[in-house]
Amino acid sequence: MLKPARTFRGGYRFKNFNGQARPVIVENHMPVLVTIPLKQGFGAELKSLVKKGDAVFAGQIIARDDNVVSSPIHSSVNGVVEEVRRMNYFKRQTAMVIIRTNNASREILRIEGCSLDWARLSNEKIEELIYLSGVSSLDREGIPTRFKSSIIPPEEVKHLIVHGVGSEPYNISLDLLLKDKNLLNFLEGVKILKRIMPNSKVHLSLNAKKRSIIEQVAKLTSQLEWLDTYPLEPKYPQGYDEILVPTILNQNFPYGYSAANIGVVILNIQAVLGVYEAVCNGKPFIERVIAICGPSIKDNIHVKVRVGTPLKDILAERIKIEMPVRVVMNSLLTGFQLNDISLPVDRTFSHIVAIPEKKEREFLSFMRPGKTRDSYTRAFLAGILPWIKRAPDTNKHGEERPCISCGFCERACPVKIIPHLLAKHVQRNLIDETIMNYGIFNCIECGLCSYVCPSKISLMKIIKEGQDKLTMQGCDSTQCILPYFNLKGIEEYRGVTKL
Amino acid sequence: MRFIKNTLDKVKIIAGNNKYLKTFKPVLNAMDEFFFGTDKVTTLPHIVDNMDIKRLMSLVIIALLPVTIASIYFWGLRVLLVIMVSYAFGGLIEVCFAVFRKKEIHEGFLVTGLIFPLILPPGVPLWVVAVGVMFGVMFGKEVFGGTGRNIFNPAIVGRVFLTIAFPKIMTMNWQMPFNKGLGGFIHFQNTVDAVTTATPLVLFKNQGIVTSYSNLMFGQSAGCIGETFRVGIIAGGLFLIVMRIVDWRLPLAYLATVFVFPYLSNHLIHTQFALGGFQLFSGGLLLGAFFMATDPVTSPFTKPGRWISGALLGILTLLIRNLSGYMEGVMFSILLINAFTPLIDTAVLKARYKKGRPR
Ligand code: SF4
Ligand code: SF4
Repeated sequence: MLKPARTFRGGYRFKNFNGQARPVIVENHMPVLVTIPLKQGFGAELKSLVKKGDAVFAGQIIARDDNVVSSPIHSSVNGVVEEVRRMNYFKRQTAMVIIRTNNASREILRIEGCSLDWARLSNEKIEELIYLSGVSSLDREGIPTRFKSSIIPPEEVKHLIVHGVGSEPYNISLDLLLKDKNLLNFLEGVKILKRIMPNSKVHLSLNAKKRSIIEQVAKLTSQLEWLDTYPLEPKYPQGYDEILVPTILNQNFPYGYSAANIGVVILNIQAVLGVYEAVCNGKPFIERVIAICGPSIKDNIHVKVRVGTPLKDILAERIKIEMPVRVVMNSLLTGFQLNDISLPVDRTFSHIVAIPEKKEREFLSFMRPGKTRDSYTRAFLAGILPWIKRAPDTNKHGEERPCISCGFCERACPVKIIPHLLAKHVQRNLIDETIMNYGIFNCIECGLCSYVCPSKISLMKIIKEGQDKLTMQGCDSTQCILPYFNLKGIEEYRGVTKL
Repeated sequence: MRFIKNTLDKVKIIAGNNKYLKTFKPVLNAMDEFFFGTDKVTTLPHIVDNMDIKRLMSLVIIALLPVTIASIYFWGLRVLLVIMVSYAFGGLIEVCFAVFRKKEIHEGFLVTGLIFPLILPPGVPLWVVAVGVMFGVMFGKEVFGGTGRNIFNPAIVGRVFLTIAFPKIMTMNWQMPFNKGLGGFIHFQNTVDAVTTATPLVLFKNQGIVTSYSNLMFGQSAGCIGETFRVGIIAGGLFLIVMRIVDWRLPLAYLATVFVFPYLSNHLIHTQFALGGFQLFSGGLLLGAFFMATDPVTSPFTKPGRWISGALLGILTLLIRNLSGYMEGVMFSILLINAFTPLIDTAVLKARYKKGRPR
């Protein structure tokens, strides 16, 4: 059923940033060398089943462990294992399997037992296909199957939220993901998921601005009484689990835990498409569609790449080199900075954003009309000329100053805490129960407060610091959460995240 | 631009080598930052808002421009001199403290320096301006530790100090504004008919005369330099609200209280309050409500706190206007409520974060 549009209090809508990826997709050339991390997405790090010198084929499982929360990992090319070693991958030592391609064919071996007529498959088979394809490790809590791919079993899922809100400054194109036949495949994927999670209610949440897609979906799903469609305003950070749960389910979120702990699974559209591909076509999840965004890219498009492809294979010819560039993974507000372009992409990549690293100073910067400058206030020309594209860069646009209590951070904060108040307590070293009471552990690190602050205070960082200090003093976020929620699978969740 | 850069760089080198000039580094840095912006880059989040304190303060100044220009028309070119004196002496204090503390100079002063002259009577002697602004900046702001830490609005501290210290000067220097031709743009000061007159509030209190709304709105009444051109004040205030720089809650609560309260009390306790409309458009109420009570540093940051403090301000203003010997309630009430701001915020936070409630 189509529900009325919804949104949440706070947040900020990033409009019309320059360098949005066009709804065009190209296949990246086959990599000569892939580096495959043995921890991708949700789940524990696995041990390699292959060793140096082994021949592997694309889609072959090279790591799997059914006894820990995890999903299998595949080789993404046909080739020979060159090395298995640990490398620093996003601030974590991760084991990597390095494979040299010896056959650049794009063929991928299908997983056995798949069927276009999935309704005839048994539940067990479907779950197995999803698990073996590796798609079950996507997103924050993975897809529950009987193979321990998530922290709760599939029957315990009460709500499944599938979202394609696109609230970041740069988003993958919904039009592209759900083009033509993909829309039908996507809905099939949703039905498959409903089948393995029989006790769940499904909530599709889509960008309210994509009218035509919503209409089509509403028409195609009008018969399904277990499925609701919600148009959501694409306001950052609507796509976060912590915000989706209250907006859609009117339910509090156990901050610091995962939605799965309250029986909710949240997936994005690529994961659902992956489920369809796995069950109906037996495709292991070794390819990923990545949106290449930002003004420092020559042509903003989407590319389909094999997992393990080094970033330089993707970026080398696409990036503008005239100016210094900062490359960021997934989100301009919270994403990792990609300094080392020899690192590979994994299953969790969805965006690569490149913006100018703007160190040079600007004459009378604060007096410029600001035709392309984005701001929470409406004090730039961009605020009244919404059709002109905004050009982001990494400059701080001002000196750090003491807080003037303007309240922007409070108005923007999506979880209704008061960032400047917390920051003042932390900076004065007043770290005690008071700030826990003020909700310091509710911070979801979305970074909006730091974004909007005109005094350029790194609020998010200070709040994080406060959380750490508070935890060291023995106040734990569990104190704010456990008494009020009946959480499931806590031990497993700890096991995966505290590794 | 090149020229400014070169000069600054040269001066910096000279200052860097000289033991005595070194102390003025904050001034040079402030100028450097003012002209050339920053070269710092972000960490996380990777992008930040283009708004900064400089632009924020400039916008407040832009919002005050209509009033300032109109005030030159009404009171003569001497107003410019008053503004310059205010900036010069206020700036002096600011620089002294920055040098003394070895901290950078903050932009907040740019607004104080302009607002302060606007709330003085047109005939105010220049030395009084200097004394007032120095007192205001020093005891309203610097003793608390500078911008962002102050409890009181520095302009108001200066003004209230002057009212108490020099009551004669501050209540006697009312003039009638220019209203013909180019008016004050070509005169230094209104000497032709410099008959001292009384402000509308005084006229009402002593003789029951109600000045007409059109005169009040368009500046044809006696009053402080910047408070009589009320159309301009309203426009500037709305501009700031639309730009999201000022929160609408406090001014709305303040003005609504002032408008409604007289009706209520005239009915209930039969004292003679001037009616709401007249109250709204007389005295420094509008200027105070839009530009001073809303100063983010000294007003409550919680939303309920803003409603509360707006309402309290309204009631207090009316009580002072009608029941005390002072004609002007706005400044005193803002000063008083400033003092209560932390208390209001704490109370609101206490109520909001009751222990043991899941959020
Ligand atoms: S980073 Fe934390 S405090 Fe800041 S806006 Fe986001 S949730 Fe609120
Ligand atoms: S946005 Fe910055 S200046 Fe404004 S209240 Fe928050 S911390 Fe203070």
